[in-house]
Amino acid sequence: MDERRRHRILMVSDFFYPNFGGVENHIYYLSQCLLKLGHKVVVMTHAYGNRSGVRYMTGGLKVYYIPWKPFLMQNTLPTIYGTLPIIRTILVRERISLVHGHQAFSTLCHEALMHARTMGYKVVFTDHSLYGFADVGSIHMNKVLQFTLADVNQAICVSHTSKENTVLRSGLPPEKVFVIPNAVDTAVFKPASERLSCHEIIIVVISRLVYRKGADLLVEVIPEVCRLYPNVRFIVGGDGPKRVRLEEMREKHSLQDRVEMLGAVQHAQVRSVLITGHIFLNSSLTEAFCIAILEAASCGLLTVSTRVGGVPEVLPDDMIVLAEPVPSDMVQAIMKAIQILPSIDPQMMHLRMKSLYSWHDVARRTEIVYDRALSCSNENLLQRLPRYLACGAWAGKLFCVVMIINFLLWHLLQVWKPSEDIEEVPDYVLPCHEEDISPD
Amino acid sequence: MEDKVEESCSQRAWRKVAYGGMQPGYDDNYTDESFLEGMVMNANVVKRDMLKVMQDSVSISQYLCIVVLVVCVWAYTLGSTIGEANLLLLDVALLGSGFLVLLLTAKRLSLYLLYHYILNISYFICGLYILAPIYNTLTRSISSDSIWALTVSLLILHLFLHDYSGSTIKPPGALNNPTLTSNISLNASIVASVLIASRLPSRLHVFAIVLFSLQVFLFAPLVTYCIKKYSFRLHLCFSFALMIVTLAMVFMLNQMLFAFLLGLLFFVMVVCPYWLIKIQGYKFEINGPWDEAKLCFDIKE
Repeated sequence: MDERRRHRILMVSDFFYPNFGGVENHIYYLSQCLLKLGHKVVVMTHAYGNRSGVRYMTGGLKVYYIPWKPFLMQNTLPTIYGTLPIIRTILVRERISLVHGHQAFSTLCHEALMHARTMGYKVVFTDHSLYGFADVGSIHMNKVLQFTLADVNQAICVSHTSKENTVLRSGLPPEKVFVIPNAVDTAVFKPASERLSCHEIIIVVISRLVYRKGADLLVEVIPEVCRLYPNVRFIVGGDGPKRVRLEEMREKHSLQDRVEMLGAVQHAQVRSVLITGHIFLNSSLTEAFCIAILEAASCGLLTVSTRVGGVPEVLPDDMIVLAEPVPSDMVQAIMKAIQILPSIDPQMMHLRMKSLYSWHDVARRTEIVYDRALSCSNENLLQRLPRYLACGAWAGKLFCVVMIINFLLWHLLQVWKPSEDIEEVPDYVLPCHEEDISPD
Repeated sequence: MEDKVEESCSQRAWRKVAYGGMQPGYDDNYTDESFLEGMVMNANVVKRDMLKVMQDSVSISQYLCIVVLVVCVWAYTLGSTIGEANLLLLDVALLGSGFLVLLLTAKRLSLYLLYHYILNISYFICGLYILAPIYNTLTRSISSDSIWALTVSLLILHLFLHDYSGSTIKPPGALNNPTLTSNISLNASIVASVLIASRLPSRLHVFAIVLFSLQVFLFAPLVTYCIKKYSFRLHLCFSFALMIVTLAMVFMLNQMLFAFLLGLLFFVMVVCPYWLIKIQGYKFEINGPWDEAKLCFDIKE
């Protein structure tokens, strides 16, 4: 690996292990694949309970759990300038060349990107969710996003619909936004070794039981399907505020033997639940990119999903049946899925998924984005301020003031604690095993 | 020649899909012509007509005049221009005319409902008469300035939060339930009436003025709503007559307040509709495939 192309990346987000979720898995797998490609990756997140300080994960992935506690929905308290000292220390210690922030909802990400730009580092941002435009929360979130993305070098979105949404929300030129989807670990999500019998059809649902994930649609769809098909059973995994409604539906239609509620399913047990079913049902009302569908397809299940957000882009048409988020249409889709079920071979589906999605491919495409970002010219504060001014009549001036104060605070820190005094961490590279770098 | 043919064959069309890795021949930041073709702008925006908005603003100025009339009566009573006998006569006249209007205009008013209303109103009046001595001495230890300031702020709050399209007391046949803000405004007006009543000398004064204020604040929205439902032209005529009467009364009371009220009515009926229609041009509503899907059925809890 020639030294010129080796990047030194800092991944920043509020969402990381020990939490499990789409963003967390994305950061972890992407970091692992980038490490395999020879780059240096460091992750920064906030403290989780007692877990504070530096930890090392598989492959030599260094994680900084900075001592800030989360205050609202896993986000750290936004103090605008409070994280400047520790971010500066980490950036200088690890000799970082590029900062990669994840998730628009993460306050730590926004602050880190702002400080990184002030200090002259190159910055890449990945957006993982879709947001609206009309309600008060979305309007403020979009303004903050506009501020952060006013001066970002490149941006990545996980689907084409997400790219359209991000471009509209932040006013970025579309050429700056790359579409690199998530992927799935096909080595973990393997189908069952024996094919399941088809005389009883099992439909699996695994999701958080909240309004956003369409739990209310499930309440309407499940009784109807159970009425039409006496040989269909449902397995519902996951927990949430809407679980009560599902239990009530079960009682009302006497479906206790046909609908099994598993409660919260640990991430390690998701595969064992998936391989007991034939069909995977996803009823979300909004999704930028649904990883659950990928996991189900990798395990050989036929997917039935609502046609929302980025879901139509995720799988080829013969592996997924789409429906409008209307109960009658979803029942029709489940009927169609049951009809085409005999022609589905789980092992073939798994092999196809291996060729369609791979984290190594995602890492290679992300590397291209990093190369692009690093080839952008260096700019000083005066060249960057006009971009912030363009954000709005009042907001633009406010953002400029924020950045100028940040700049002054940075220089103050440089005088108080010079970078020469910060000890740099020596790189150590784990011996790479030849069999690990397999072309997936 | 052959190379060129091969080149055009190998450049496959770009597809809006996420699987299959990087599409050959296209960068990841390639922006197709179909970018943002699913976007719909201003789909739900209602085009407003100036005349219709001005007619709708008449409801607001009508209620404003009703409140000003109540304040005039308060001012006259506090200045001892109206005696308690006159006030009681006014109350009875208002009650009678209110019932008459309801009988004439409401569509679904049965005899049973009328009997129910009369019974409730008698309970109400008895209750008020019994509680009148308490209101009389309620604010004796508080200075007058505080009372005037509090009353004015409560009335302003009442006007801000009032539900101008419906009625807090559900008229027969109405669909909307009263909202939180309309309840708050009603309570503010009731507290203001009680504060003013506590400044009066005798029990009978207090009873008469509280009955008058509460009659207007509780039942005037109901009566005007029934008039509006019955005939829009009647509603317009009634409003303009009310405005003229109010302006006359305020003129007799104070010239400066008359000018202020005239300006306010002009602002509400002419300037505000024009302003609203002008800033509607800036409305920018974006819809597209990224929107959260709306459930087409009601969630029955």
